[in-house]
Amino acid sequence: MRTSTDLEADIGEVLLEEGQIQARIRELGAQISADYAGRQLTLVSVLKGSLPFMADLMRAITLPLRIDLMEVSSYGGATTESSGLVRILKDLSASIEGEEVLICEDIIDTGLTLNYLVRYLGGKKPASLRICTLLDKPARRLVEIPVDYTGFVIPDQFVVGYGLDYGELYRNLRFVGVLRPEVYTSPE
Amino acid sequence: MTDARTPEDNASSLAAGPPPVALDGSGRPWPVFAHGSEAEMARILDFYAVAWDYEPRTFPILWNLEGEVVESFSPDFYLPELGLYLEMTTLKQRLVRKKNRKLRRLREIYPDIRIKLFYARDFRAMMLKYGRLALADSLSGTLGQVVPERLEAIIEAPVLAAVADPEPRPASRGARRHRPNLAGAGDPSPGKEAFVER
Repeated sequence: MRTSTDLEADIGEVLLEEGQIQARIRELGAQISADYAGRQLTLVSVLKGSLPFMADLMRAITLPLRIDLMEVSSYGGATTESSGLVRILKDLSASIEGEEVLICEDIIDTGLTLNYLVRYLGGKKPASLRICTLLDKPARRLVEIPVDYTGFVIPDQFVVGYGLDYGELYRNLRFVGVLRPEVYTSPE
Repeated sequence: MTDARTPEDNASSLAAGPPPVALDGSGRPWPVFAHGSEAEMARILDFYAVAWDYEPRTFPILWNLEGEVVESFSPDFYLPELGLYLEMTTLKQRLVRKKNRKLRRLREIYPDIRIKLFYARDFRAMMLKYGRLALADSLSGTLGQVVPERLEAIIEAPVLAAVADPEPRPASRGARRHRPNLAGAGDPSPGKEAFVER
C-alpha cells in the first residue's frame, strides 16, 4: 500500500502550492460574488476532479447558492471502430431551468468534455450558463470555449493533485504538481 | 497526415475526391484512415458528439507558371460545427517541418481558414489523459501507418469508392461526415470500457 509520502515522491515539480490555490480561489469567489450580486447561483461540479475546487470555491462565494454534481464518462478508447458516446453517469439532481448556472471545472485542456457539457446543460434552459475553471491548459485546446473565470493558466504538462488524478490516485494532494514521466511510462 | 497527393490528383479544384470508405463491424460506413492516430481521433470525436468530415477538401498551395497545381494540402478532418480543420501528425521531425511549411503557406493563401496542427505530443498527451498511452506509442510514426483492424475491414468489407457508391452520402462535398447524437445517456457497445472523467 502506497502512502501519501510515496505519492508526493512521484511529483517532479510543485506547480501550485496550497496557499497559492487558496488565495486565487478567494479572489475568484469575490469576483463571482460581485458579478452575481443580488442573484442566486447554482454551481455545477463535474466529478470527480473538480470536487475539491468546488468545495473551496463555494465557501469563497458570499451569495445564496445551490450546488449540484454531474459525472460523465470519459473516452477510454477501444480496439474497434466505435467506442460509443459519452455517457452521463450522474445527472443533475434538480432542474436548472431559469437558474444562473456556473460550471466548476478542475481543468480545461482539449475542451471536448466541456463542449459536450455546455451543449447538454444549455438544453436545460438555464437563465445563464458560465464556466469557471481552476486550471486552463490552452496549448491543448481543440474546441474553443469561452471561459468566464480562470484560476491559473498552466503550461503543457501532465498535472495531478487537488482533485486531479492519474489512475485515480493523487487527488488528495493539497497542491498541484507535475507527475514524473517515469510514473506513467514505466512498465506495469 | 494525408497530403501526399500528386498534382494530377489535385487539378485546380478545391474539392477533394472522397476518401475510400469501408464498413465497420456494425455496417456503418467508416473511412479508411491513412494512420491509426486518425482513426483514434475519429473515435474520440464521435465519443464527444463532435461532427467531423474526413479529408473533405484539398487546398492548392503552389502553382507552376502554367497555373497548374503542383502542391496541395488536404487536412485530415473538418469539424463543421466548430469551423475548424484538424491535421494530425505523428511523424518524424523532418516531416513535421515540411508539414509546418505547408501549413504556413496554407494560412498565407487562405487566411480565413481555421486549422490546428495536432502534433505527436498532443496526441500522446491526449492518450495519457485517457489512460491509453501504450496505444499512443503503438500508433506513433510509421507503426501507425497501417491500422490492423482497418486492413481487416478493407479485406472483409467492400471498399466503397465514391463513384461506385449508389447510396447518397450524408457528408457535404462528397466526404464522410459523422454527426453523433447528443444523447444524455450514450449507449456504448457492450464490452466497451467506459472510463470516468477525471
